[in-house]
Amino acid sequence: MAFGKKTWISALSLLVVTALALTGCGGSQSNDGSEASSPDGSKGASAPASQASDKPKENVTLTYTIWDQLQQPAMEAIAKEFTAENPNIKVKVEVIPWGDYWTKMSAAAPAGTLPDVFWMHSGQFVKYASGKFLEPITGKVQAGEIDLNDYAANLGSIYTLDSQNYAIPKDFDTIGLAYNKELFDQAGVPYPDDTWDYAKLAQVAKQLSQPDKGIYGFAAKMDTQTGYWNDMLANGGSIVTADGSKSGYDDPASIEALKARYQMILDKASPTHQQMTDTDSTEMFKSGKIAMIFEGDWRTTDIDGSDIIKGKWNWAPLPKGKSKRGNIINGLGNVMSASGKHKDEAWQFLKFLGSKRAAEITAQMGAAIPAFKDTQAAWVQSKPHLNLKVFIDQAADAAPYPAGSKAYPVWFPKEAEIMAQAWGGKISIEDGAKQVAAMMNQAIADNK
Amino acid sequence: MNSKSRYVWAYAMIAPTLLGTVLFWSWPAVYSIYLSFLKSENFGLVNHWVGFANYERLFQDPEFWRNLRNTLYYAVLFVPLTLVFSTFFAVLLNAKIRGLSAYRVFFFLPQVTMPAAAAMVWVVLFAQDYGFINYVLGTHVAWISDTRFAMFALVIVGVWGAIGLNMLLILAGLQGIPRVLYEAAEIDGAVRFRKFRYITLPLLTPTLFFTSVVLMIGATQIFDSIYLLIGKTNVALPAVRSLVYAYYQNAFVYYDQNYAAAIVDVLLVINLILTGLQFAFQKKWVIYD
Repeated sequence: MAFGKKTWISALSLLVVTALALTGCGGSQSNDGSEASSPDGSKGASAPASQASDKPKENVTLTYTIWDQLQQPAMEAIAKEFTAENPNIKVKVEVIPWGDYWTKMSAAAPAGTLPDVFWMHSGQFVKYASGKFLEPITGKVQAGEIDLNDYAANLGSIYTLDSQNYAIPKDFDTIGLAYNKELFDQAGVPYPDDTWDYAKLAQVAKQLSQPDKGIYGFAAKMDTQTGYWNDMLANGGSIVTADGSKSGYDDPASIEALKARYQMILDKASPTHQQMTDTDSTEMFKSGKIAMIFEGDWRTTDIDGSDIIKGKWNWAPLPKGKSKRGNIINGLGNVMSASGKHKDEAWQFLKFLGSKRAAEITAQMGAAIPAFKDTQAAWVQSKPHLNLKVFIDQAADAAPYPAGSKAYPVWFPKEAEIMAQAWGGKISIEDGAKQVAAMMNQAIADNK
Repeated sequence: MNSKSRYVWAYAMIAPTLLGTVLFWSWPAVYSIYLSFLKSENFGLVNHWVGFANYERLFQDPEFWRNLRNTLYYAVLFVPLTLVFSTFFAVLLNAKIRGLSAYRVFFFLPQVTMPAAAAMVWVVLFAQDYGFINYVLGTHVAWISDTRFAMFALVIVGVWGAIGLNMLLILAGLQGIPRVLYEAAEIDGAVRFRKFRYITLPLLTPTLFFTSVVLMIGATQIFDSIYLLIGKTNVALPAVRSLVYAYYQNAFVYYDQNYAAAIVDVLLVINLILTGLQFAFQKKWVIYD
């Protein structure tokens, strides 16, 4: 008979292989999260050692997940110094790009596989905190292990929900006006400074534009934090009302600011929305095609890395508006998972991330503006050829990033979709702003 | 050997594929139907049964109907064009010419190119100001951000990417046609076009049927080229957004998995109907010998 004992065995082994392959898949999935924090270093050690949790010197590897690759060297330097002080705790710094970060986190949260320690954004915070996926640090704060008053610009208060603290401020960012010195010199126009207002910006932008050569004075991009939100605030408008109950997009002052920005495209002082869809406007600035652009301080290293523009550009403060100088300040926080396997060690690392020493490393390596008070000067000095001081100076009267609600993650992505129709010329700016306001008010009502 | 152990043996042999299919295809499909009747909160840890509420919302949403129209419009352009071009090149490459394998490799290359990498090249080719396509045509068209042209750009990229594999399938079909038929036709004095019309095409219909079914299902699931070429801040997005792109937005951008599940479940039904229709109509044109 063809189907003898041998074939049976091979069929069975096939099944076993399949089963192994499938369980293998399951195993590698959980490896992404807290499983990875199982003691890698203790491979040689016996299994019971890792079970004795009261043993003080257990070898532990923590996962620290971030989204900015440019900051990876600084974060690794901090982790290295932490391990030098705590030899039994190793830290693996893992980068998930911003585009995938929250998709991965939203899958990891219900699965209980969030990284031990990770970066938190104010826009996403409420969702994770209200779902009890983050470990509250209120007790540690009250016990005096950490002092949230150590951090600048009231950043300690961002990551608070129902009077519980969840994050230690990591850094903050504000927006500046980047300008191409060469294009200003060629036209014989003085560089932007703190006397500029929006009228001056529009006038110079027109003056510097040479649309036939593909050179534009300003990039009137369709963007929020590094775009028209600053204009709206400067003009006396708002993004959401102070109590968070209503959208500010249909405020006449907001609409006026949006229209003024869009007018620069109509004046050919800025590339069109279509052109900026084809090529990212900051990339255009990096290749010397744009004289002025709003950008966040976090793009400094990136822009300065362009061979075309290196040494030919600088930062200035944003122009003054009708009502004030608008700016958005946002602060990242470090948080720890509520379902981590090594919470004591994670807290040790989280505390170190919030220390003055970690802030100094962040500043010296030029990674970001550290949140810890009086460490910002080192960041300003990290690139002496650039006027980085504008970002610190503007923090004083900047408005906080309008997140901190359950409604924000709902309305924010939809905002971009509606505004794209206005910026692309399909609907008027006024209609776009009013549609956004209606959509936001609905989202706020649905997510009380 | 008795019939029982025969069955066991047979099931053991199909077990690896069956397990994989059930675990990674059937189970998620069934689960997505279940999800579409829920309203989930807190990352899916809290669920409320809402019946057909998601479907009611879907059918009242003008955006859904627009996305459905876009998807079908894409399929109507993409499937016939791919079939025509694949057949055309397959017939050409079935001839005995110098450097035949080089040509076959050349036409198959898009198939083995990463979609993301290819899309990056297409973005540059389609660019309004410095793009190669506008340069050659002497035009100044915003191919991927003008609502009138974006769909055609997607179809061009889609057909370009699909020709390779389908050409290969059709080539295999062509080589299965017995040579004697052509020899007989030549004796009867048939010219090249008539040979194609009366021998090649009829005997190719089973292959064409198979490819058209697979292409139709693939076409209704268009996502990656919209994501990579058009992007979320593109003014042309509503004019090309497919059902799967809407699914992606709802599931992973707006975090509304339940509404997203309803979208793909409707797409599943549409695909079942389309495939059923194709099978029903195959009697009219497919020739099995």
